[in-house]
Amino acid sequence: MKRSPLEDYLPRPAQVVEIISENSQIKTFVLRFVDQHDNASFSYQPGQFMMVSLPHCGEAPISFSSTPADKGLIRLSVRRAGTLTTAMHGLTTGAIIGLRGPYGKPFPMEYLAQRDLLFVAGGIGLAPLSSVINSCLANPDYQGHITILYGSRTPEDIAFMGDIALWRQNQSVHCLLTVDSGSAGWQGNTGLVTTLFEQVEINPAQQSGVVCGPPLMIKAVLKALEKRGFSDKDIITTMERHMKCGVGVCRHCHLDGKLVCVDGPVFNLAQLKKLNAMEIS
Amino acid sequence: MTGKLTLKKDHLTAFLRKLSKEYSLVAPLQNRHGDTLFTEIDDVDSATLDLAKQPQNSIKQFLLPQREVLCTYRCESAEAYAFTPADTALPPTVFFGVRSCDLSGVLYMDVTFLHGTSDSPYRQKRLKSILIGLNCNHPFPNCFCNATKSGPFLEDGADLQFTDIGDCFLVEVGRSQGQAIVEKWRHFFTPAEEQDVHRQYQAFLESRGSFSHIVHVDQVIKRLQGEGVPDAIWHQLSKRCQDCGGCAFICPTCTCFTITDAPLTAESGERIRSWDACTFSGFTKMAGGHNPVVRKTDAIRQRFMHKLCYDVQKHGRPSCVGCGRCVDMCFGGTDILRFINMACAGS
Repeated sequence: MKRSPLEDYLPRPAQVVEIISENSQIKTFVLRFVDQHDNASFSYQPGQFMMVSLPHCGEAPISFSSTPADKGLIRLSVRRAGTLTTAMHGLTTGAIIGLRGPYGKPFPMEYLAQRDLLFVAGGIGLAPLSSVINSCLANPDYQGHITILYGSRTPEDIAFMGDIALWRQNQSVHCLLTVDSGSAGWQGNTGLVTTLFEQVEINPAQQSGVVCGPPLMIKAVLKALEKRGFSDKDIITTMERHMKCGVGVCRHCHLDGKLVCVDGPVFNLAQLKKLNAMEIS
Repeated sequence: MTGKLTLKKDHLTAFLRKLSKEYSLVAPLQNRHGDTLFTEIDDVDSATLDLAKQPQNSIKQFLLPQREVLCTYRCESAEAYAFTPADTALPPTVFFGVRSCDLSGVLYMDVTFLHGTSDSPYRQKRLKSILIGLNCNHPFPNCFCNATKSGPFLEDGADLQFTDIGDCFLVEVGRSQGQAIVEKWRHFFTPAEEQDVHRQYQAFLESRGSFSHIVHVDQVIKRLQGEGVPDAIWHQLSKRCQDCGGCAFICPTCTCFTITDAPLTAESGERIRSWDACTFSGFTKMAGGHNPVVRKTDAIRQRFMHKLCYDVQKHGRPSCVGCGRCVDMCFGGTDILRFINMACAGS
């Protein structure tokens, strides 16, 4: 890039090339920078995020749901929650948005590549985890087994069905879904995502747990993993906070003495235990 | 030879006049309402320089403006959305008469904006800034820079450091830009005699002995890093905080900011960086309404923990510079002196 977005807060234009409607509240935007130099020089790691700009809406931090292996294309999955995300849901293919980043500490991918992985997600929380999952699956050296436990409110809320279908075809992936409350015709699991633990093989010696979802769900899952003998460094989560700069100066994402944008958003339980985070306390 | 210089007070205006020919000049001026504020000087001869009172503002606003355009954007259609960087630079500027607390505040902003990250809008302004410090001979009623170790006299950080020693200023050359100034206008300066340096030392001793408050900054730091303070103190102060943000805005080291879009027309707008305050109820609120900080009990915790604990852990010193402005500003009774006194009571 000609200018460093880390230094001057200047977004780069990116075009929406595809929009995938994941459920009534979540859309995945497939994006490409308008400038070919940006596409060529851009790189990121799973767990990092971009600051997204829309006209008159300011910026919001959004995690990658794509993997660096998806060359030249960025996928950002967005739940409709505030002004910017609502405007984003109104976009059509061809629209231009602004992007700056990537920011934040990624998942420890080198370490995770040597482990069996247990992913536990709720709602939009599967988005950043799918970046890790698909990175591992695209890595020819990855030999581990992947378990994915995904909770949604209702069967209609189950998002990322495209990814889920692909994972279910993969021999080295075990993917289970559950909903908080089923509806007529729902044959699958009902109950909190932690109830799925009974149905899968848990082996803390070889497995790391990677968790993302609403704060209360994260809290419950971190506890459940701890109870099942996972070490604190093998319980890893990524957190959502209000952010303005992304580079560790505006301080909106303060978490005790840490800033989620530069010290996180990925934290393991050992790190979280030193902090007064709503995800654990 | 002492290596130090003197500048006669009678020559100060002429010296500032010379500086103002080459630089934009900012100094504490008294305005027509009697307020003393750091102000850009249009005309040295008609300006009322006031080096006696504590300026009501610090020089933060010149390096981190209260409202600054980061870039502009156009959005004629959904397919035409583009950003243009704004000019965030500053003309070469001399800040004159910067007291030790405020100068320490700039050094802290350097740590925040230049060392941890590299914030281009700040860096562009800071690189063009020359700081002429003024040691404080008479601490003001709420000052406690002696306790935060950021005054009343500074030995490092300024380009030139001035001390009032009677009929002249003792001038110490600090950083390279200060050296360039004294070389360029050498005729204003005379090598200081031993007695001048002695007068400076006397002024320092008198100043050090004339603080009205004994503030236990070291003790509160130790406590916050150790067992912490009772939650009841945070709750009580948070309850009383009136959410005005005055303490943060007046503070030389509070640099929290927000970034927002300000539409100019339906098809264009500006992206604005403006001051924010961690004590504001919306500071941490996320889209959808969830707030990880419970305002009722913890509104004030981040402010004091950041200044007196986190920055000590991270940078080795507190980021309160003891200027006392927030003590004057706070009408909620939740200022930093009250906190430190509450936190240290009974220990």
